[in-house]
Amino acid sequence: MLKLILLKELREITGSAKFAVTFGICSMLIILSFFAGIKNYETRMEEYNSSTAANLRPYKDTTDWDHVRDHRISLTPKPLASLIVGLSNDIPRDAYINGRDTPSFSRSNYSQQPVFSVFRFLDLEFVFQVIFSLFAILFAFDAVNGEKERGTLRLSFANSLPRAGYILGKLAGSFLALALPLLIPILIGALLIPVMGVSLTVDEWIRLSLFILCGMLYLGVFLTLAVFISCLTQRPSSSFLFLLIIWVCSVLIIPRASVLIAGNAVEVPSTEEISVQVLQLQRQNARESDKKLGEVFQQVLQESRQNRDKGPEFMKNRQEELYGELDILRDKLDKNVDDLKSRLNEERTNMQIKQEKLAFGISRISPAAVFTLSATTLADTSMELRNHFMENAKAYSKSFADFFRNKTGRSIDSEMNFNREREDKKKQARLINVNEIPEFAYQAPDLPVILHDALPDIALLFLFNLVFFIGAFTAFLRYDLR
Amino acid sequence: MTETEKQTVLEADKLTKRYEDGVLALDEVSFAINSSEIFAMLGANGAGKTTTINLFLNFIEPTEGEARVMGIVTHKEPLLAKEKIAYVSENVMLYQNFTAMQNLDYFARLGGKKDYSKDDYRDVLLRVGLQEEAHNKRLKGFSKGMRQKCGIAIAILKDAPAILLDEPTSGLDPKAGFEFMKLLDNLRSEGKSILMSTHDIFRAREIADTVGIMNQGKLVMQAGKDELSDKDLEQLYMKYMAGYMEEAA
Repeated sequence: MLKLILLKELREITGSAKFAVTFGICSMLIILSFFAGIKNYETRMEEYNSSTAANLRPYKDTTDWDHVRDHRISLTPKPLASLIVGLSNDIPRDAYINGRDTPSFSRSNYSQQPVFSVFRFLDLEFVFQVIFSLFAILFAFDAVNGEKERGTLRLSFANSLPRAGYILGKLAGSFLALALPLLIPILIGALLIPVMGVSLTVDEWIRLSLFILCGMLYLGVFLTLAVFISCLTQRPSSSFLFLLIIWVCSVLIIPRASVLIAGNAVEVPSTEEISVQVLQLQRQNARESDKKLGEVFQQVLQESRQNRDKGPEFMKNRQEELYGELDILRDKLDKNVDDLKSRLNEERTNMQIKQEKLAFGISRISPAAVFTLSATTLADTSMELRNHFMENAKAYSKSFADFFRNKTGRSIDSEMNFNREREDKKKQARLINVNEIPEFAYQAPDLPVILHDALPDIALLFLFNLVFFIGAFTAFLRYDLR
Repeated sequence: MTETEKQTVLEADKLTKRYEDGVLALDEVSFAINSSEIFAMLGANGAGKTTTINLFLNFIEPTEGEARVMGIVTHKEPLLAKEKIAYVSENVMLYQNFTAMQNLDYFARLGGKKDYSKDDYRDVLLRVGLQEEAHNKRLKGFSKGMRQKCGIAIAILKDAPAILLDEPTSGLDPKAGFEFMKLLDNLRSEGKSILMSTHDIFRAREIADTVGIMNQGKLVMQAGKDELSDKDLEQLYMKYMAGYMEEAA
């Protein structure tokens, strides 16, 4: 019986003209988003290659490795980040490293082609989020009340048909009728990746597969929800209206509102505010330091007069002693400034984390937000991308320092020898080969790490499915068949 | 089949339904329909005709009394009882994206008949008067009469001893209505027990073995064909509807 209902659903959904038109449009969009993603990746690679070459250009005429103490590195484009853009356009793409300090990001977040920022990209995450949810609603909003309105529910249940079997068959059949056809353009799109000359690692294929699985779970959420609402309402027009409201809230309102709520609930001080506080302390310290300098100066004058008989050596020592005290005070004041700066920055970071957690926590009541979070985590284009880039840059900075030591025999902290290059030029020394500088290649976290981060959201999508499935099931068991 | 061989197929025994809001939809309705018999229930909207059918189909449970099909109490063993029932609704819609054949195939399988061939479907569709060129067309373009024919074909395919018809002729043109009555007559002669709710007094008189008049949940009159032969059913009906029960008696 279950198989019969399932096959009926499959045939009924896929046999309609509505399905043919909707499926055609969806397929086109899915394939187009794969194509656009791959093209986007190619563009980024071109930009990356020219940027990498430009980063090394300043050292083209250098003859001494001692002068190669810093340079700019660029975030290596990844195919998945082009397919599921996430935040990859909104974080800096370049960082300066010098082998000593923490790498610093430059203002380089997609500044070269700002037009893309206006309407955002047609990426897979957006297409799945909008299409899958609408697709499910469009074909399941009248799953039960529509059958009742058409009289087919009465006719079906005039037979010895168990309710549980019917609703199970209906849910499974509707899911298969929507998911299986959608997998076709997805597979074609995935095939485009190698066909267009882009290679993915095994890890990336697994992550892409998991993303598709998330898409299917997301489709399931809206499908079970639509059937559930269809069981709770008498008329298809009512269920469609309810589902449309839920869709707007889930896809458009809740994710944005969560950020607004978190922004108001947890205030994160701006970098300008921190700079003002630090500047105030620096000014206060400068006044204190000036005052101390005046005191020391006065004391030196006074003691010089009093100790004329003790000879110049005595006063020289005494001066060193007094100015030493001034240096100690200045060091202490500088340390206070550093302490304040690091404390404020740490507080800012903590508040940012708190704000992010609150925003994401609230947003997770929306299946669409959960899908976005899981998709961007799997593609490594989530909020963590900036941190991952920084970790990569730090590791590279360290290896660059080692490279410098190998080349010069000196630490990168040592002072630069300007004379040596002049001497080299006189001797017509050979130019350095800049290609020897180790290449920076961004490495996404390992698959287990990404899985660990994505798993809670994948589990949440599964939970949404379960809750709405149970809702639809129990609502149908009590449904008035008349 | 002789009179003595006839057995009771459909039976309502003091069937009562009171809804949660207190409305008494059916009040101790009792009747019995034997095989090879047609029972026509007449009554205004809200008289309790569809409620009676709903109770036989176990779409609702009785407050008191029982509906039985071949002795099976419908609210106690609904799945078993429904194996013995075929049902044709007032406005047969079926699946619009399916062809007539596909609809027949689906509902026949749902009714537990898995061995029918396409030829069987074709034969039954021809029997109910649906022309062959329509058999493989989607139901979208079908008229009400054509859909009604498909509905009765589904009921025939189920080959159940009892057939419930909920206002099957409403909205049918005279020719389609006439053909439908002929079909019912055939089904009766095959031994089917038929319960039909209708507003159509003339067809009820013409086809039914027993006519029942329902008013405000009560079966206010029940009479066999012979008893009605010398009476004006329309007048009788109007009187009962107006509440002149004593006069009618």
